[in-house]
Amino acid sequence: MKFKHIRPTTTSGWGAAAVFLVAILILPTLFLLVRVFQPASENWDHIREFMLKDYFVDTISIAVWTGLFSVAVGTTLAWLVSAYDFPFRKTLKWALLLPLAIPPYIGAYTYHGILDYTGVVQMTLRNTFGLELSQAYFDIMHIPGAVFIFTIFLYPYVYAITRAFFASQATSLIESARVLGSGPVQTFFRVVLPVSRAAIVAGVSLVVLEVLNDYGVVSYFGIQTFSTAIFQTWFSFGDIDAAIKLAGILMAIVMFILLLEKFLRGRRKFSYSTTKVKPLKPVRLYGWKKAVVVGYTGSVFLLGFVIPVVQLLYWAALTFDYIFTKEFVSYIWNSTFVASVSAAAIVVIAILVANYTRMAKGIVPAVTARLTILGYSIPGAVIAVGVISFFIFLDEQLMTMLGASSSLVLSTSVVMLLFAYVIRFMAIGYNSIESGFEKVGMKFTEASRTLGMGWTETFFKVDVKLIRPAIFSGFILVFVDILKELPLTLILRPFNFETLSTMAYRYANDEMIQEAAVASLFIVMVSGIAMYLFHTFIEKEPN
Amino acid sequence: MKIRSNWYLVMLFAVFMLVLAACGSGEENEEAETEGETANEENAEEADNEDSQEVNLYTSRHYDTDDALYDQFTEETGIEVNVISGNADELIERLEREGENTEGDVFITSDAGRLHRAKEADLLQSVESDVLHENIPENFRDTDNQWFGLTKRARVIVYHPDRVSEEELSTYEALADEEWEGRVLVRPADNIYNQSLVASLISINGTEETSAWAEGLVNNFARTPKGGDRDQAKALAAGEGDVAIMNTYYIGKMLNSAEEEEVNVAEQLEIFFPNQETTGTHVNVSGAGVTANAPNPENAVKLIEFLSSEEVQDEFSEANYEYPVNPNVEPAELLQSWGDFEEQDIDLTQLGENNTQALMLMNEAGWQ
Repeated sequence: MKFKHIRPTTTSGWGAAAVFLVAILILPTLFLLVRVFQPASENWDHIREFMLKDYFVDTISIAVWTGLFSVAVGTTLAWLVSAYDFPFRKTLKWALLLPLAIPPYIGAYTYHGILDYTGVVQMTLRNTFGLELSQAYFDIMHIPGAVFIFTIFLYPYVYAITRAFFASQATSLIESARVLGSGPVQTFFRVVLPVSRAAIVAGVSLVVLEVLNDYGVVSYFGIQTFSTAIFQTWFSFGDIDAAIKLAGILMAIVMFILLLEKFLRGRRKFSYSTTKVKPLKPVRLYGWKKAVVVGYTGSVFLLGFVIPVVQLLYWAALTFDYIFTKEFVSYIWNSTFVASVSAAAIVVIAILVANYTRMAKGIVPAVTARLTILGYSIPGAVIAVGVISFFIFLDEQLMTMLGASSSLVLSTSVVMLLFAYVIRFMAIGYNSIESGFEKVGMKFTEASRTLGMGWTETFFKVDVKLIRPAIFSGFILVFVDILKELPLTLILRPFNFETLSTMAYRYANDEMIQEAAVASLFIVMVSGIAMYLFHTFIEKEPN
Repeated sequence: MKIRSNWYLVMLFAVFMLVLAACGSGEENEEAETEGETANEENAEEADNEDSQEVNLYTSRHYDTDDALYDQFTEETGIEVNVISGNADELIERLEREGENTEGDVFITSDAGRLHRAKEADLLQSVESDVLHENIPENFRDTDNQWFGLTKRARVIVYHPDRVSEEELSTYEALADEEWEGRVLVRPADNIYNQSLVASLISINGTEETSAWAEGLVNNFARTPKGGDRDQAKALAAGEGDVAIMNTYYIGKMLNSAEEEEVNVAEQLEIFFPNQETTGTHVNVSGAGVTANAPNPENAVKLIEFLSSEEVQDEFSEANYEYPVNPNVEPAELLQSWGDFEEQDIDLTQLGENNTQALMLMNEAGWQ
């Protein structure tokens, strides 16, 4: 067993670095977990009887349906733009990521705004055609409506990760299938889906986690979910310990599902079947097939991006004069700054940890890998409590070291916010990069080792090169997510630190969606530019 | 070597992004240079003087009007106002975590219950100020002077005059009667305004009666509660229900909306102040308190005094359609056009004390 002795263990440099980083990242969560085990408060019985049962069913049904639809939409889109050539394909390839730039709660307000009594649809029907239809036709404030909102604005997680996977995946497998006479539908279901399972799971778990954490959409729609229970317990009962207990339960469920999935998947891995990694050659479509594909991809793009953006543009035009100030430039910079710094940090840490966990065997690396996702499985506002506790603790240590005259240093700086972002969005960067590694497999790494290169040299010369698309998609996803992030930004920011998302919230929170449109559009714009830049950058890269 | 150069390219781009971002924040610092410098100088002096020339604010109000007022305060006093705005309960938690090391001087939020909760958590301190006593009536400030109301909000019944006549309306309690079956609109139970309304009714009518009332009200709901206050007004106009429980200032905002159709909706509706013959209309406050460990307590008091002053109170009313607490200030014209009304005469701290009870009772009644 030639490779056995060269696999790094926890004691090697890689392992130590990875375990250390993850340990730091879960410290704040541990500050929270301590509180999970405190005895139940007097509210607990009430919470259990009146909140958990019903809320649980709704939560699961929203999560499951959104998960299913996101997989359906995300994978078919990724497959179509990777394997076929049709009009607008080049644009759609990156434009289909754009819905991710719209925060779901803004999307919810926007779609409700389009469809409600004073919205453009009903107004036109009423004032132009004299039609007064039942409100029930235009109501999206229910569970199916929430599933629609989540799917249309979150499917890009699945799309991005699976497309990154197709982009450099064993083309040979698919082309072999084609050569062997497998039809397009058969190829998709029997080759593409099974082979890309890891990527799909990575994507859909992000979608589901995001849904489980959401409070903005469901509370606006009046739907009771698990996160409603957490926040009602915290905000209305003032019982943060019970809220943390609930968050702990949520976290445990999520961890269980993820571990189960990992366990069930077992050792079934598909990696490159040949050394020639080349992109899939798209097949040109004609006739009705072309029409159907263009129609389908186009309508997803319309629903997820064009329609809400046009509505936001209209609102922004109404309010721009008194909402836009020159301070907006600084909000844009603040947003870009925190998003790029944290995204860069996340990608670097994710590569370190993922590279370690794929090389090492045993329980430590497996657990380390799953722990990275911890921060994404609890609502941001709850994590914020852990992060504050952690930073106050650090500051107190600093004070005792530096003497009494000093005051809070870290917890009043932007460092606290950046750190919180890293904890929260680690899962997104990690899932992206892990699925990148998974697709590459160990063959090249092992070959490189056999040829005498060290682990570190191999890492820089072989591994990183191979997973480049995954690195980029990881960075973009995290960057965009931080741009629109709200609860952490609100509570952990330093004094006078406004970002685009805090500005959007300022108005949306007070039901002033027209006023919120300006900041929302800037979020969309910055995300859009970032996505476009990275897209052209990747495309120019020689393969 | 080719592989290597690609890796460098990636790194280069990452570095480029960082530099870009760093430059950005640099530029912004230059813009704020003068402010920053003065703040720094004052920080240096801090050791000598009691208060520096700044005051740090934790607020859950996010209005542009408020920002304009803080700027005005800085202009008049030379005291810089630093702001973190966020959700009230999260700010309370942050204050609690920061403990005696906090930099926050003033806590502002738009619900008496929350102010009470901050007081209970020992996060506020008592303030002796003649100005505040003079500007703010007794029932709108804390008995221990730990918090002070700044603006009032009335939660009223809004109705569509085509389908409801004023004579049919009387009290909150009556909305639970059979005649209102399928006609009542209100937003979900997680909303603090609803919880405070129910909390006030618990104070007045007791838990049992309020519990029965909540059940009756839920039976009368025109639809599953959803959306915000504005959405209830729109549902009224659309004919989904006949009466809505909502705050007056949302009607004010809709009447002044950027969107014409929202104005149309608001113009169709009428406001009714309930319980005028009995216990008075439910009123809640936005208020402020000085934090227990405020580093700049004197500036903090100055700021609250400023916010209770006549000119500022006028501004709250004119720009944000809230009722002033200062009895010397007339509400804005629009508010006056809705008429005077009797307010609920209860100790506002009870809104906080009964909050948990209120939510439990709403959950039990099936108010989603």
